[in-house]
Amino acid sequence: MPATTENNQGSFLGRISIRRNQVLSMDGSHEQEIEDLELFQKHVGDRFSELLSSTTSDDSSGDALLSIAWLRRLLDELLCCEAEFKAVVLMGRDPSQIAKPPLDKVLPEFLDRVVKSLDVCNAVTLGLDAVRNLQRLAEIVVTALDVAPLGDGQVRRAKKALSALVAAMLHEDNVGTKGTERTRSFGRRAGNNNKTTAPIRSLSSTMARNWSAAKQIHSMMSNLAAPRGAESSGLAQPIYIMSTVLVFIMWTLIAAIPCQERNGFGTHFPLPRQFTWAQPMIALQEKIAEEWKKKEKKGNVGLLEEMHRMEKLAQSLIEFADSFQFPAETDRLDEVKKQVAELGEICKKMDQGLEPLQQQIREVFHRVVRSRTEFLVVLDQAGKLSTPTV
Amino acid sequence: MENNLENFGSSAHEEAKTINSGDPSVREEKVDVKREEEAEKKVVNSEDLDKRDEEPQEEEKKEEPKEEEKKEELKEEEKKEEPKQEEENKEEPKQEEEKEEPKQEEKKEEPKEEENKEETKEEEKEEPKEEEKKEEETEKTEETDETEETPIVPATPPSLEKVSEDIDQFLMILHENNEAKENKNTTLEIPNCIRIFLYLVEEKMVKYDSNEVKWGEKTEEDAVFLECVSRISKLMKHFFDYYEAHQQEEEREDDKKKVKGKTDFMINGIGVIQQRVMSFLEEEFRLLMEEPRNQHKQDAKGKQHVAESSESEPPAETVIEYPGYTEETITNLSNIAKAMIEGGYENECCQVYAISRRHAFEDAMHHILGYDKISIDEVQRMPWESLEREIPTWINTWKECTSVWFPGEKRLAASVLAEVANTATSLYGILSRGILIPLLNFAESIAMTKRAGEKLFKLLDMYEALRDVVPNMDILFPNEIVSEMKAETTSAKCRLGEAAVLIFCDLENSIKSETGKTPVAGGAVHPLTRYIMNYLRLACEYKDTLEEVFKEHSKIERADSTSRPRYSDDGNKPKNPNNNNNNNSNKQKEDESPFAAQLMRVMELLDSNLEGKAKLYREVALSCIFMMNNGRYIVQKIKGSAEIYDVMGETWCRKRSTELRTYHKNYQVETWSKILSYLSPKGLSDNGKVPKPVLKERFKSFNAAFEEIHKTQSLWVVSDEQLQSELRVSISALVIPAYRSFLGRFSQYLDPGRQTEKYIKYQAEDVENYIDELFDGNPHGRR
Repeated sequence: MPATTENNQGSFLGRISIRRNQVLSMDGSHEQEIEDLELFQKHVGDRFSELLSSTTSDDSSGDALLSIAWLRRLLDELLCCEAEFKAVVLMGRDPSQIAKPPLDKVLPEFLDRVVKSLDVCNAVTLGLDAVRNLQRLAEIVVTALDVAPLGDGQVRRAKKALSALVAAMLHEDNVGTKGTERTRSFGRRAGNNNKTTAPIRSLSSTMARNWSAAKQIHSMMSNLAAPRGAESSGLAQPIYIMSTVLVFIMWTLIAAIPCQERNGFGTHFPLPRQFTWAQPMIALQEKIAEEWKKKEKKGNVGLLEEMHRMEKLAQSLIEFADSFQFPAETDRLDEVKKQVAELGEICKKMDQGLEPLQQQIREVFHRVVRSRTEFLVVLDQAGKLSTPTV
Repeated sequence: MENNLENFGSSAHEEAKTINSGDPSVREEKVDVKREEEAEKKVVNSEDLDKRDEEPQEEEKKEEPKEEEKKEELKEEEKKEEPKQEEENKEEPKQEEEKEEPKQEEKKEEPKEEENKEETKEEEKEEPKEEEKKEEETEKTEETDETEETPIVPATPPSLEKVSEDIDQFLMILHENNEAKENKNTTLEIPNCIRIFLYLVEEKMVKYDSNEVKWGEKTEEDAVFLECVSRISKLMKHFFDYYEAHQQEEEREDDKKKVKGKTDFMINGIGVIQQRVMSFLEEEFRLLMEEPRNQHKQDAKGKQHVAESSESEPPAETVIEYPGYTEETITNLSNIAKAMIEGGYENECCQVYAISRRHAFEDAMHHILGYDKISIDEVQRMPWESLEREIPTWINTWKECTSVWFPGEKRLAASVLAEVANTATSLYGILSRGILIPLLNFAESIAMTKRAGEKLFKLLDMYEALRDVVPNMDILFPNEIVSEMKAETTSAKCRLGEAAVLIFCDLENSIKSETGKTPVAGGAVHPLTRYIMNYLRLACEYKDTLEEVFKEHSKIERADSTSRPRYSDDGNKPKNPNNNNNNNSNKQKEDESPFAAQLMRVMELLDSNLEGKAKLYREVALSCIFMMNNGRYIVQKIKGSAEIYDVMGETWCRKRSTELRTYHKNYQVETWSKILSYLSPKGLSDNGKVPKPVLKERFKSFNAAFEEIHKTQSLWVVSDEQLQSELRVSISALVIPAYRSFLGRFSQYLDPGRQTEKYIKYQAEDVENYIDELFDGNPHGRR
């Protein structure tokens, strides 16, 4: 469990301090700085083009866009960028450098985004709980249909879980807005025999009341503008890059994973076209936005690749269940067997991937909290701000 | 649903296939039985029974079944029974039993003529083979039959009890056969009792579904039902196993294909009933799971739902321990869970369990503990006054959850899902983790807020709440998540600790930044002194925690090479020679207690700040009073709190008292030495004579000086009563005897009357009274 950052911190700081000593021993520290910045930009660009190419490569070795494995790689990149960013901007730096304009404005804005990203992390963590709920429903389907001879009872069992699954995919997203009122089930006992309409309820914990992922990401995007003129060669540049990376990754997570209140989630993302490092991000953003638009109309619980596939299979299996008659036709049965196997495969992927993903998000949370504190300490030292902003 | 019965009733036939294909729409209805349909279903049921009823007579009619519409289904039965009867006529009593039973509900039916005809044809074809097989299996059947032979009072319907016994017997034999691996090459005999059994179970199911019987009302009835469910599960399992074992073999042997089909239909029939039963149990399980929450909802919302939902449960008069299930409910839940798990419905059961508990827990947090989630971002923007109110709620929630609710959940999971202990543990783990981390997020978000002195105490409260739970976590959480939960809690605790240290260290800044140039009127206690001392006194109520936090943090500091050295000496210069010794002892203390060192530092900063402020007074005497006032205030505060006294130490206090005495002395010298010089006999005895002008001048000067002192120093402030009286007493002791003796010695030299009146304005008592008016902070008009 990566929760405490202290341990990670140790090794990380170890690396950094070596670097810092190098920086300090250089006389032409300004040149070194420029070189560092360029390197940082290059690395960011490289990392994202790797992410991009893994989605385009046809061979199965690549991870599909917005799959669990891909998201984990994305978060890895975030952690790497963040570490390098800190090395470039923070470590071994005279505090006064960080506190002078335009950093005195840009840095607090960045830290504000950092705080907002923490809420996104938490919302996504809850969303992953909901995905796991889907996984368990799908597991029921697999258990039910993976028997021989396949009878009516099993098909009905599967159908029930499938309906719950499909309903959860449609509604998981909106539960937050409806508050805590959930399907009550007095119906049957009260006399209306409506058991059919009492599905397995969805598992949606909410964030704070009125919290909206769409609003959150929107406010993270505001004021995100590339530094101009002389500023663009200074420290404002890496801060801008890091902000962009952070916002992009949070945006992607919200798009992929069920999240409280995504109404008004914008697909438009102002990425700077003039920079090389931003190109792969732009390409990814366009792909994701396209996916989003495709699914937006029919209600969308998230673009997570596994979920998407699960939904398709569920639809097809529901069709099968609806038309099922005992005994089953062998042809149809073989087809269903394949689908069930695929569903089982997805469940397995989720089973293996969701928890590490959740923990990775938690790691991002802790890491980001930690560096925010470090920035504030330096700002403190700079004395320009006697108390932390934000 | 109507088909259910037919499916199993005729399950050994291909007939079901035809029925199904002829009547697909009925199939669609599946699991969920509408009440309206139930009546119809009953008709069908009895129909089936009717057929069974007539079965015995049918034996002769076997050759021409077409005439007997509706009877066809029974063929299968005959088939089964035929061989038995052929070999030994023991089947008879049972048949009778079956025959009699359904007569009560006899109802007429006409449908399915067509289908039935077809079925019969097929049946006929396969019959011989069936018989052959049966013969092969005589051994097995014999046993079964013998058990069924037990005398039965004729003309009574087969009781569930009896059929259950048969089923149990059947299952036992199967089990034994399995153990002995004997049945490897034998095909399965499907005893008739299964069919009846399924029918009876369905009948029971219908009663529950139609609300004729309510779950939880009659424990025995429920128990019987659950036993039946268990039998169904066992049958199902058995048939699946059987199917698997015989699949290949049967594929090889063409002539056995029919049997396979027959078994398939039996499996299908059992499966349908099983699904229906499980679905019913799942729903009951869910309702029971939600009981405490529903009750609670009703409390909150007025009694709108009371009527139906809680009818079966007596209103909870006594407060039931968290999570609010009665013993009875828990037993009930556990029984249902057992049945579901046995039937392979563990996933459904756990799913319902997990979701119910998660929602119930969060609802209870909100309704019972008043805890609301706040996003981290929002916490940063909330005013402290509002946030301050949230913190006690959070602390209470945290404590309640970790001390009562989590253990309650753990127990609940263990008792409801006793069958699958590992799953129970992991479900509890998932639940507690899902609750704990958001709670910790609030702590993290508080630690992230803008630092401010007043936040220290609330932060420390939270810190303590987190700290106190960590040691219990080994017991509280399942092994798999203990270390994660500990790490998460410790992390949040550390963030709070860091924030607390930073806030406490900010005191330095607040002292340093207090650079006001306006002296406090009358040399009174400076607000800064009051603020700092009161703050420190409060802080020292958290002394142990602060010590701990400072130690933790200094460790982090040492590890974190990038941060500034917090405890380095910068402005910490000794103020006077006395301090040298003390500094050494401070250094030692610093090693053992960074908090004490920080406290010392604050005190020294305060001292030097006050010294600077003292210099703002033009009068030295007043700055002495200022220093005395503040010094006294500080010493009083420190002596007033055992904790802070402990930290500062006796030496420090003694040193402060010495300093105070010095200021006192300085004040006396500054203010009173001049005036005392007027009362000195020196210069007044010129060869035994007293020069009157000089004497008059002395009196005039004394009067003027005293009036001046009285005028100004009665405006000065010494609010500490003891200090005030000490000052007055010491002044009186200084001035009164001198004045008294001066008067006594020299008043005679003045002419009595006007002159005396003019120069001796004050008697000693008057002077004393005036002295008692000093340091009042009030202007006293001259008499």
